[in-house]
Parts: sequence; structure tokens; C-alpha cells
Amino acid sequence: MVQVILIIGLMLMLLGVYGFMQSKNLLKIVIAFTLFNTGINIIMVSVGYLADAKAPILDKLPDLNEIPNMVDPVPQAMVLTAIVIGLGVTALMLSYVLKLHQEKRSLDINNFKDLKW
Amino acid sequence: MVSPIYIIVIALGIAFSLGFFGKSKLNFAGILVLLGLLGMSFISGQWLFAFLNDTAVNTLIFTAGFQPPYSISLQMGLNEAVLTSMVNIAGLLGFVYLFRELSEKGIHLLMVYLVFVMSMNVSLMTRDLFNLFVFLEIETIALAGLILLINRKEAFQAGMKYLIASGIISGFLLIGIIMAYQSGGSLNIDDLIRANSSIGKISSIAGFLILVAFILELKPFPANGWGIDVYTAAHPGIGSLVSAAVATTGLYLLYKVLPIVGPQFNDYLVAIGAISFIGSNLMGTRQDNPNRLLGYSSVGQVGLLTLILGLAPSLGNQTLPIVFSILVSHFAAKAGLFWISGIIQSNHIKDWSGLRSSPTLMLLFGAFLLALLGFPPFPSFYGKWELLLTMGGNQQYTIVLIVLLGSFIEAIYLMKWLGYVIKLERVEIPRENLTLHKQMPIWIMGIVLFVMGFLMNRLNNYGASIDYLPLVFIFLLFVLDFLPVAFKNTLSIGGLLFYFIHLWDMVTDDLIRQIFLVIFLIGGILTFLAGYAQKGKRPGFYPTALLMYFGLAGIITAQGMFDFFYNWELMTVGSYFLIIRGKRSMPHAYSYMLFSIGGAYLLLAGFALAAASGAGEGLDALQAISILPEWVYGLLAVGFMSKTASLGLHIWLPGAHGEAESDVSPMVSAILLKAGVFGLVVLFLSIGMYNPSAERLLYVLGWVGALTTLMGNMSAAFQEDAKRLLAYSSVAQLGYILFAFTMMTQMAWLAGFTYTLNHFLFKAILFLIIGAIVVKLGTHNMYQMGGMIKKMPFSFIAVLVSIIVIGGIPPLSGFAGKWLFYNAILEKGWYFQGALIFFSGIVAFLYLFKLIYSVFLGQLKDNHRHIKEISAWVLIPSYLLIIGIMIFSAFPKEVLLPISEAIAPYFGNDALVWEGTKAISHLGYWDGTTIAIVVGTAFMLILAWLIALSAKAQKVEQFNIVFAAERPFRPETTHVSYNIYAGFHKAVGFLVTPVVTSFWNRMAEWTLDLAGWGRRIYSGSIQNYTIHVFFYIVVFYLLSMGGY
Amino acid sequence: MDYSLSRFLYTLLGLFIVMNWGMLMSSTMRRIIARVSGRIGIPWYQPWIDLIKLYSLRSQITHGTMFYLGPVFRLMGGVGLFLFMPMIYGSAYFMNYSFSGDLILILYFQFFGMLGMALGAGEGGQPYSAIGISRGLSQFTTIEVPMTLAVISLAIQYDTLSITEIVKAQQGSIANWTLFTNPFATIAAMLSLLGAFGHSPFNLVKAPNEIPIGPPTEYHGTFLGVLRTNGAILHVTEAALFMNLFFGGATSWLELILKTFFIYFWSVFVGVVFPRFRIEQSVRWFLKWPTLIGIISILIWM
Repeated sequence: MVQVILIIGLMLMLLGVYGFMQSKNLLKIVIAFTLFNTGINIIMVSVGYLADAKAPILDKLPDLNEIPNMVDPVPQAMVLTAIVIGLGVTALMLSYVLKLHQEKRSLDINNFKDLKW
Repeated sequence: MVSPIYIIVIALGIAFSLGFFGKSKLNFAGILVLLGLLGMSFISGQWLFAFLNDTAVNTLIFTAGFQPPYSISLQMGLNEAVLTSMVNIAGLLGFVYLFRELSEKGIHLLMVYLVFVMSMNVSLMTRDLFNLFVFLEIETIALAGLILLINRKEAFQAGMKYLIASGIISGFLLIGIIMAYQSGGSLNIDDLIRANSSIGKISSIAGFLILVAFILELKPFPANGWGIDVYTAAHPGIGSLVSAAVATTGLYLLYKVLPIVGPQFNDYLVAIGAISFIGSNLMGTRQDNPNRLLGYSSVGQVGLLTLILGLAPSLGNQTLPIVFSILVSHFAAKAGLFWISGIIQSNHIKDWSGLRSSPTLMLLFGAFLLALLGFPPFPSFYGKWELLLTMGGNQQYTIVLIVLLGSFIEAIYLMKWLGYVIKLERVEIPRENLTLHKQMPIWIMGIVLFVMGFLMNRLNNYGASIDYLPLVFIFLLFVLDFLPVAFKNTLSIGGLLFYFIHLWDMVTDDLIRQIFLVIFLIGGILTFLAGYAQKGKRPGFYPTALLMYFGLAGIITAQGMFDFFYNWELMTVGSYFLIIRGKRSMPHAYSYMLFSIGGAYLLLAGFALAAASGAGEGLDALQAISILPEWVYGLLAVGFMSKTASLGLHIWLPGAHGEAESDVSPMVSAILLKAGVFGLVVLFLSIGMYNPSAERLLYVLGWVGALTTLMGNMSAAFQEDAKRLLAYSSVAQLGYILFAFTMMTQMAWLAGFTYTLNHFLFKAILFLIIGAIVVKLGTHNMYQMGGMIKKMPFSFIAVLVSIIVIGGIPPLSGFAGKWLFYNAILEKGWYFQGALIFFSGIVAFLYLFKLIYSVFLGQLKDNHRHIKEISAWVLIPSYLLIIGIMIFSAFPKEVLLPISEAIAPYFGNDALVWEGTKAISHLGYWDGTTIAIVVGTAFMLILAWLIALSAKAQKVEQFNIVFAAERPFRPETTHVSYNIYAGFHKAVGFLVTPVVTSFWNRMAEWTLDLAGWGRRIYSGSIQNYTIHVFFYIVVFYLLSMGGY
Repeated sequence: MDYSLSRFLYTLLGLFIVMNWGMLMSSTMRRIIARVSGRIGIPWYQPWIDLIKLYSLRSQITHGTMFYLGPVFRLMGGVGLFLFMPMIYGSAYFMNYSFSGDLILILYFQFFGMLGMALGAGEGGQPYSAIGISRGLSQFTTIEVPMTLAVISLAIQYDTLSITEIVKAQQGSIANWTLFTNPFATIAAMLSLLGAFGHSPFNLVKAPNEIPIGPPTEYHGTFLGVLRTNGAILHVTEAALFMNLFFGGATSWLELILKTFFIYFWSVFVGVVFPRFRIEQSVRWFLKWPTLIGIISILIWM
């Protein structure tokens, strides 16, 4: 099960990479980027996941021998943070796309090569 | 002490509270941010102060009241204190600089700015890997926001590229972090380090990903197109923060995570750094956009620092001081340069010439560039020296080569830029940008640079040997630059005289050093005398001239390699600024500087290799070279020969000396060239008379000297430009000197010293007088002159005396040199080199005659009929020098005997036996005094006889000549001077085909072509850039972990 | 260091002999040249007549101080060579002032007169002078190459640069002459001599017919007289140099007269046979065979 999630995550990530390598449309690139991020998030979750374990939600101090049977909460917390950050980055990217579109009335990435060499 | 956590508290608190301000209170909001930044700087600064006074200890601050790994911990140690102080100062000054721009955009950018500075602080201090990631992301987002400060399409594109690329990099970082967590069981960096070192628990792929992500954050060449674009397009105020603060932070983060992945990556760091340092600087050579150029330079500098981090195992506890010295130079210089760029607001480095309207900014601009290149007295000089000597000592010669090569490539474009700024036609900079708040940050960075240089000096082992007195004096003259020439001239002469007396005690028992000290400082005073003839203020002349002279003096009194090289570099800088003062000197000063820097780096390489022999760093260590002696001696010799302009390295000289100002030419020709001679003297004396490891080298150098002489004299004969003719003559004279010293016998060294003294005397006279005439007549071309003997009899006599000396005609002192030469060559058995030398000596007559005839004899031109004698201030030093020639000619024994004795310990004392005034060698004899008496008497008798016979000779007008029964109607048609040696040229002119010049031109072309070809990878497409990033990761992986 | 009056007077006597012998030799040579071209030529006393005429010309003009000093320098060059040259081996007085310097002094003192003359002529402003000087200097650079090589060869051979010592080593038998002990150096030097004496094919400097008389074009009267005086002294002294170096020197005035005559005759002999070279031709010529022979002359001693 863990492997499946891991593989899905990897697939998504690679899909994202392929997406922004191949697309010419800026919006598609942004979407590919979020796919890439999501893939990474899934990979992260899969790392902390234990099959048939309890959720790390505590209402009382757990037994010491219960702990190994719990899902590690740290990766989940990290994923949450990463999602938030990803959101911020995506939003900023979109606003950049907006600016770029205002400038040239185009979303084709090939039109934005003014800076080179 | 205020806990560093308050840095975050202040930043976040103010950032949130800014939300309460409306548009109307923007200024108030701005001041609040300024106070916040001040507070942050204060906190980090106070920790730094405490650490420097040893009153603080490394402190861990635990947030949320738990111990790690259950909470995030911040560390405040010396490193963090230093770096947060740097970041906060950059942030504070950057804010002052950007105050208006940021406030105009509204409170949002103010918030973003605060968060940006804070994020760097936290990422420097945090010991938690994931927290590090979070604040890196915050930094990225904040920076992407700040890029929007400028409303241009380029900025939008750069920001977009930056976001995408760093998004991908942080993706990999995230994977690396989670894998490290999985294998190491903690997110705390210290725990992870422990886990790695104890049982190697961190999976190698995790370590790799973390490492590569932090490397990529540093924008290594060539996977850095997105980063370079940010430098190019962002507001320079932001660019300065990226270059100074972000790069500083990034480097420390790399340093911080390095132990997690273990030492096996060190070699790769070195390679990565090297590629970045050389590659990025190479790309910079073709750049003319100032911001982009600074970007390339930043990447290069960071590459150098990465390389040094990778060398930590061999540098040991030297690593951090070296890194710091280079980092702080880069930090201050780049920040300052970007800020200047923001004032100038131009897309082309050629437009920076407007800086000249502000002497302070001009000074700082020069200081920033020189600091980047590692010149003294800036901190990077000490770092590079330490680095190279340690590397040489460890016999890691490749590193030495890489560092010097990269630095040289950097010099190619930085010095070109400096030349443009000094020389190009002035493009006015927008006056409204020259406000206090825009300039003050630059001044402060400049002060930081000088102060850090001074501190580095005091911390350095050899720092005590550096005399700061001259630098203070130079600074004083810079401050007094608004005063008229006469005052500054007197002050300078006084300074040199004082320094001469001051230093004399240090060389009392060393005649060789005394001779050079007299040439340098008394010669300096004499050339300064000519300065009284100048009108106006001559802005910038005196500080630079004194820099050169004090550097020269420092070379003489230097005891160790370090202070020798330090002063060598000061002298180089001073002379560069002097040379570039000429009207058309820009390209020539540029090539002078490149050859000088190249030569200096060869010296550095030589010293570094010498360190391998473990004989210490005193100059006397050169006597005990056991490892690669031929290389050490060869590198040093070629380094010195770049200053003496030997064949192959001479192409800068004719232009540099020929186009220099009239009283600068004698300074750089008669005096400065002797610095190379002094270097060779020191080197050869260290080599010693019978050193089998240098025999081949000396033999080759001897031939080089002889060929230099021939080439110099022949080229001089074919010049039409009077000053270039003299310049080529210098090339040739230095060839004689090199040749003499390579023979390594007492006789030859006597010849060498005779030539050295003579060249100093006559070349100073010639350049002083010809220089003044060139200015007076307004032309360099000799064929446009003529007949000056009637107008300038005193100049004529001085030039005549000089010419007799150069020609080696008895009875003047030039003959002493020729006689000693013959004896030396026959004793040594270098017959064919000798024959070449004597052939060149006769070729010299071609140019000597051409010079004196075309200028002083022949036909006076109509437009020169009103010309008067040149200024007495030029004639006075010339005639003082002539007195020197006369004394040397009449009493050669008084000069040669002490020299013989001074060099006897090295070469034995069997060259000359003196019988009264007669010198007797193994082969022949020569009595300078008697010759002078005989010739003088006979000459007077003949003259008296002729006067008796033709007392009534009638003086006639100019055109009254026997000219095929015609009367010439124009002087131009009758003054035979242009291409006067056409026949000679037809016969042997092929010998002076400028192959060396073509060679260097082709090298330059190829370098630029390579750069032009290489920088095509920066296609402008973000998709290409991401491919670069992926490739970088894959190749790095394959090489480091894939077993390839 | 003998500054006595007797030495001075003997030197003057020697100078007088040399000058007169030089004039006689030049008129003889001119007669020889004339006979070769089918003319009768000048009377043997013609140079004296010329000299008297030149010194007694009443109207004289000068172009300036340097112009005036040119002939002084030139004559000083010739006289100086004589002063520093040991003329008669074994004679206490006709060694002149050769104690003040060796062969190197002689080689470099040649330039004294040349330079002074060039400058004097230069001030005259006459283009022919400048052209002649430029040719002379160009040619002279390469004339000196075989000579230098030969001198180096001699110095290796005799291990001395003192002319007296070199002459001394050649005494005893004709087989001791450098001509036989070091033939290559002798050949190189004798080829160089052709250029130094300025007869055809190396007479482009004065180039009669082409640039009237080269550097001295502007000189006349007393000035030209001084130059002529110098010419006479210089020819004998230079020939004496070759005599000392390669042909055993002279122990009496008669030997000196005979030897210098034949040495001078060698250049005249070549001169009447060969036509004139252009400047680049002569420059190239000296750098070919004479230089090669000079190099061989050193190689055999190495």
C-alpha cells in the first residue's frame, strides 16, 4: 500500500515535470507546477504512513508500547506546511502570469525571452 | 543581552502592525520599518560585539519551551552573529537606499521587505532542517515580491523564472528532508549530523538531495540562468541584497548542512566551485549590462567561496577566516556596486563614466572593483594570499591554477569597465539620484571595506610588516585634491623625501637596495619637480602617483613574500591609474593592467609553489627551494618580466608609455620598470651563482633578453611617434638588463647595474624633455617637428647627452656598460647572444639619430616659429640627472667598486681589478677617467683650431642650402624624416612583424568567442533553465554517487 | 697613465705622419681607380693642394652651433681612434694613449665621429645629408655584425681584448698572424672592412652622381678641410686596426705603411670590380655570407 502511494506520488511529480517542460502556455505550466508539488506532498505523506496503524490523535498520554503503532505525525505536519507554502507560491505565480499577460497579451512562454545572455 | 528571537519578534510585529497604516501615513510606516531594521541590526551587532570580546558563548535558543527535536532551536554563535550582522546591515542600508521606492509602492512592499530580511536571519540561525526549508521558501516568495518593485516586463519575466526554478529546487529539497527524517529520525540538524557521523544512518540519496538543493540555491554556473536574470532585471537595490545578503546566507546554509552529508562531497564542492568561478567569469567577459555583469561576477565569487568550503579538510581552521575575508569583500563591494548602478540607471557599462562627476563615488567604485579582484588593502587580498600559500604548501597546484585563472578572467571585464569609467566621454548621471540617502549606504560599504581590510591586516601574521603611514598620507592628499598643483606637488615631494629618509635606515647595509631606493624615491622627487610646470588642479594625480611610489618603496624594504607582494600590488594599482591619465590611454592602460595582473598572479603562483618547500615565507626562503625549483623560479621570473616588458610580454609598453602624460612617462619608464628589475635581482640573488636547477631557465631568459633588445631597438627605429620610439627603446634597454643579470657573474652584474642606472638617468631625461616638447608642439609625430635646436638649445643638449649614453659612445657612462658587457659575454661564453646584443646596440643608432635629428635638426616648421624653450621645471630635473651622468662617466670607479663589493658575496670578487682609475678585467682594461681627459683635451684643441680657421663664418638663414640650385619653399618638403629607414625596413623589417601582438590578440579573441559561444546556454527560456537544473542534478548524481 | 709632454709631442708626430700617409695613399688609390677606368687620374700631390685651398677659402657660412661642431666631432673621432690605437708595436711612444682602453674602446669610439657628423649635417637642413646619413646608419648596423663576430672570435682565440696583446701574440713568424691562425675571423672582418671603407659596392652613403656627396653636402671651406683631414687619418687608422688584429701589426713605420696600403687596396680592388648595391641589398648581403663566416669563426673555437 505504501509503495502504491509512493509510486503515485512519483508519477504525479514526473507528470508535473513533463508538464512544465512541454507546455507553452504559462497557465499550464503553473498547473504542472502544482502537480509537481502535489506529487511531492504525497511522497512525504507516504513516508510517515504505517499500514494498519492508529492516527496520531491523542486525548490522553499514550502507552509507550503503543507509540510504534502510530502513524508518524511529523511528516503530516510538514505536508500541511508545504501545502500552505505551495499555495503561496502558486498564487504569486498566477499574479506574475497576470502581469505578463497584461504586458504582452499572450500566454505563450516563447514570447517572454527578453532577458538572455 | 537581547535574545536573537527578538529579531523575529520585531520583524513580524512591525510587519503585522503595518497593516494598520493607511496610504496617508506611508512615511511613518517607513520610519517604523527603519526602526525595526535598526533594532534587528542592533541585536545581531550586540551579539557580534560580545563574541569579539569573548563575553558571549555559543547559545541555543529553544522555542516553545521544548528541547529539540520536539521544538525548533535557534543558534547564536560567532558565525551566526557575524552573518546576521552582515545581513541586517545590508538590509538596513538597502532600506535606506530604497526608502523612496518602497514607500511609494505602499505598505505591502514594506512588509515584504521586513519579512525578507527576517527570513534570512532565521535561516541563518535555525538548527531545524524543515524550518530552514520554510524560511527559504519565505525568502523566495518575499524576493519574488520585491522583484515587482520595478514595473518592467523584464522584471516580471525574471520573477516568474525565479519562482519556477526555485520551486523545483525546493521540491527536491523537500524530498531530501523527508528522506533524511525517515533515516535519521529527527529534523534537528545537530541530531542529523550526529546520526550521520556515528552510524552513517542518513541515506545517501537524502544527503545528496539536500546538498544539491543548497548548491543550486547558490545559482552555480551553468544551471543559473534564472538567477542571472534576477540580477539583471530586478531593481539594483534588490540586486544588491540578492548579491550581498542572499548569497551570504546561501553559503552559510551550505556550510551548515555539509556535515549531514559527510565529507565525501568535498571534492565535488571544489569542482563545482571551480566550474562556477571560471565559467561565470568567462561569461562575464562579453557582458555590457552592468547589473548582469555584476550578476556573473557574484556567481563567480560565490563559486570561489564554494570551492574554499570544499577545501576545508586541507585548510583546517584557516577555512573560515579565508572565506570571511573574501565574503566580506564581495559583500561590501557588490552591495556598493549595485547601489551605484541604481544611481546611474543605465543598461550599458559605458554610461558609467558619469561617475567622474563625483570623486567620492569614483573612488569607491575603484575600491569596490579592486576589492573584488583581491587587491590590497582590501580584505580579500589576505584571504587569497592565505588560500594560495596554503594550497601551494600542500602541493595542491591545480587549486592554485584554478583560483588564479578565474581571478584573471574576472579582471578582464572588471578592468575594462574601470577603464571605461575613467576614460570614456562623460555621460551625465541623473542628478536627482545623487541624494544623501542613496549615497550614504555606498559610503558606508566603502568604509566597511577599508576598515575590514585594516582589521584583516591586524589579524594577519604578517600584518605588522605593512606600513599604513603612506596610505594615510595618500588619503590626506585625496582629501586635499581640490588644492592647486603647486601645493600638492610640494607636499608630495616632501612626503617622498621624508619617506626616503625614514626608510634609509632600513637599508643602510644593503647597497643594492639603496640603489633602487634612490632610483625610486629620489627619481620620484625629480619627476615631481617637472610637475610644477603643470597648471590647474590635476585631480587624482597625486594620490595615484604616491601610491605607486610608496608601493615601490615598500617592495624594497619588504622582508617577506607577503609584504613584497602587498606592495607590488599597491604599485601596480597606482601605476595603472597614472598610465590611464593620458588622453588616448584607455586601451593601453587596460592591456598594461592585464599584463600586470597576469604577472602578479604568476608571482603569487611562484610564491605559493615556494611555500611547498617549507622554508617559511620570508624572501630568503627563495634560496631554499627544494620542490619544483625550476617552476618556482620560472614563474617568478616571468612574473617580473611582465613588468620589465620582455619579449612576448612587451606589447602593453609602447602604448602605455607612449600615450601617458608628459611627466608620467618618465615615472613609468625610468622608474617603474625598475620594479621588475629589482624583482629579478632579488630572485636571481636567491637562485645563486651555481644553481643547477635554474641553469636552463637562466639560459632561456638570456636569449629572451637578447631577442627583446633586438626587437625593441628595431621597432624603435621604425616609429614615427617620438614617445613610442622612446617606449620601444625602454623595451630594448630592459632586455639588456635582463640579459646581463641572467649571466650570473660579477662582471655581468656590474654591466646590469650600469645599465640599470644609466637607463634610469637617460630615460628620465628623454621622456621629460620629449614629453614636454610633444605637449608644446601638439604632435607626437617626429616628422611634423624639426629645427627645435634653435628654439630649445637646453633641451637639445640634454637629449644629446642622453643619446651619447644610450649609444655607449665613449667617454660617457654608456660605454662602461658596453665594455663590461663585452667582458662579461666573453667570460660567460654566450657568444651568439652577445653578438645579437651588440648588433642591437648598433641598430639603436638608427632611432637615436632619428629622434634627435627629426625633432631638433632639419627644417623648422612654419607653425613652430613662435615656440619657446620648454618649462624650466622640466629642465631642472633633467640637468640634475645630467650631473648624475657626468659624475658616473668621469668617476666610474666610485660607483662600480662599491657595487662589485656588494655583489661579491654572491659571485666572488674576481671581475675587476682597479689600478687607480683604471679597471682591469681578465681580458682587457678601461680607464674611464683618462678617456674623459684625453677626449676632452683633444676635442678642445680641435675646436680651438677650427675656430681659429673659420672665425668669420657667417650665419645664414634656414633655407640657404645647396639644393640643386633651388631654394626650398616649404620646410615640409625638405625635412627628410618620415619612414627614413625604408631601405633597412625592406631588408630586415620582417624581423619586427608583430607576431606577439597578433598572438595576444588572437588569445583575446578566442577567449571572447568562447564566452560568446558559452553564454548561448542562457537562451532566455525558463524551460531550458529548468532542463539545466535537472541536468545539473543528474550529472552531479552520476558523478558523485553513480560510480562514474 | 703617462701625461708627459714628450708623449704628447710624439703622438702629434705620429698623427702628422699618419695624416700625410693617408693623403698620399688616397691620391694613389684614386690614380689606380682612374687607370682601371682608362683615365690618367690626379697628380699624387692633389690632396695637399685641395687641403690648402679649402683651409684658405675666405667666405664661409654656418647653419648653427651643431653644424659648426659637426666637423669637430668628426675629426675628434678620427684623432681619437688614432690616440687609442697602438700604432707601432714595441715603440714606447707610438703606442699613443692606448693604455686608456682596449679593443672595445676602439670599436665604440668609431661612433663618436659618426654621430657628431650626422648631427652637424642634420642641422644644415640639407635633405641629401639626411638621406645619406640614414643610408649610412642602416648599412653600418650590418657591417658591424661580421666584425663583431670576428672580434669575439679573436678574443676567444687570444683570451684578451688588448690590441697590444693581440699583436704580441702574432710576433715571431708570419705563420702566427691571425690571417693563418684564424682564417675565418679574418675573412669575416675583411668583408666587413669593405663596408667600413665605403667603396663600391657599398658606397651608397656618399653615392656620387646620386645624392651629390651625402652627409657632408653642406660643408665647404674650412669645415670640409677638417673633414678631409679626418678622412686621411681615419683611413690609415682603421687599416692599422685590421693590421694589428689580423696581419701581425707593425714594428716600424715602413711596415705600417706597406700593410695599411694593401689593406686599403683590398677595398679599392673590390670597388673597381663590383657595381654599387642598393641599401637593402647591402644590408642583406652582410647578414648572409660574412655573418655565416663570422659564426663559423666562433664555432671553431667553442
